[in-house]
Amino acid sequence: MNRTLFYFALAGIAVVLQTVLLPPILQGDYKPDLILLLVVYLGLHEDRWRGGLIVYLMGWLFDGVSGAFPGLYGFVLLTIFLAVRGIVSRVNTESSVLLLLLVMAGTVLQAALVSFALDFFRQDVSVLSQIAWQLPVQLLLNFVAAYFLLKLAVWLQRAFLPRSKLPGLRKLDSRYEA
Amino acid sequence: MWEWWQKNRPLLLCAVLLLMALLWYSVNLRQQDETNFLEGVVLRLTGPVQSGLSRAITGAADIWGHYLYLIDTEKENRVLHENNRKLSAMLAENDEIRLENERLRRLLEFKDAQEIETLPARVIAEDAASWFRTVTIDKGSERGVVEGMPVVVAEGVVGRVVRSSPRFARVLLVTDASSAVASLLQGNRARGICRGKGERLVFDFVLRQEEVKVGDRVVTSGMGGVFPKGLVVGEVTSVDRQKFGLFQAVEVVPAVDFSHLEEVLVLLRRPQ
Repeated sequence: MNRTLFYFALAGIAVVLQTVLLPPILQGDYKPDLILLLVVYLGLHEDRWRGGLIVYLMGWLFDGVSGAFPGLYGFVLLTIFLAVRGIVSRVNTESSVLLLLLVMAGTVLQAALVSFALDFFRQDVSVLSQIAWQLPVQLLLNFVAAYFLLKLAVWLQRAFLPRSKLPGLRKLDSRYEA
Repeated sequence: MWEWWQKNRPLLLCAVLLLMALLWYSVNLRQQDETNFLEGVVLRLTGPVQSGLSRAITGAADIWGHYLYLIDTEKENRVLHENNRKLSAMLAENDEIRLENERLRRLLEFKDAQEIETLPARVIAEDAASWFRTVTIDKGSERGVVEGMPVVVAEGVVGRVVRSSPRFARVLLVTDASSAVASLLQGNRARGICRGKGERLVFDFVLRQEEVKVGDRVVTSGMGGVFPKGLVVGEVTSVDRQKFGLFQAVEVVPAVDFSHLEEVLVLLRRPQ
């Protein structure tokens, strides 16, 4: 329960960052997708049903502050989560490089799913060309955000919880580097 | 059969889960013009935080811009600089007030010119995703703001309200891909529909034989039932009249600078 609340608190912080704090700094329509990072992380470390429910509700939270299509992000984020769950048994989930790669893949998948959900279900809306045009910048932003957040998470863990470890961040921590 | 089910159960359940999510999304598309319970809750919860933070950021930016950057030079001449700093801060503050005054005066003049009742509102947050273009304003259904109401500034059309909670509302900007505004060219009255395309708009369904020039002004036609007639949408920036086809490709730059959107007016008229 505590962990679930913690995830929702993180999602809330991500929403506030993306809607209020980051836009004046980035001075444009682009912003890193921090919720996506959280979904990828959940995909690597939470089980299918509990994680799926959390992610679907997070999608609804995101729909409340983005776009005009209720249920869109519920579907998109759930698909990304299940896709990550699908490959998790075949990869080393303790690798932070994997997390960065999955964030990149998740960004592409998210763009494809949003395009599909809008262009296919709403014939009067076409976002494919716009999203394709924006995708490279979005990929770069998400990559940079993921990299710095991972570094920050390790630093915070070392500073405040030195005896514990955050799952999935072992290889970023220099204590584990040979 | 049982073995097959046991083997493929996780995959099938995932597929069912995804299908249900997709189905729910497609069902919701029918009630897209109304704010559902969950969205209302999210707006109510995030609105006060966004509003408070937005004010704090503006304050912090003012302090940073008008005060802190002078700290280094303070060492050179403490007393003189102290006065200078205060005066600079006052001047900057005055400038800010003057600019705000100018903006609000323009808005007020525009408001007075409108026959429809209007409600001023402040933009407190942007869309959470890069793919969509919406903003949150600090007025909601308590002040009469409901879904479908047009939102404008003195320069032109901003968008329409798509979600509203008692104290906050979300506005879909005209630059969003799902936005469509029935428009016409001010000069020759050629009709079309302005659709959002990121930072620009495309003026669709303008017949090939219509004379369209770069610089032509595009205004609302009043046909869509949302925006009143004659509001400025933007200016034509490119025209591509192909050899074949019924229509020409016209690109429009919006009249409103959406990157500096601070105060807006909600036209309190229900969509027809």
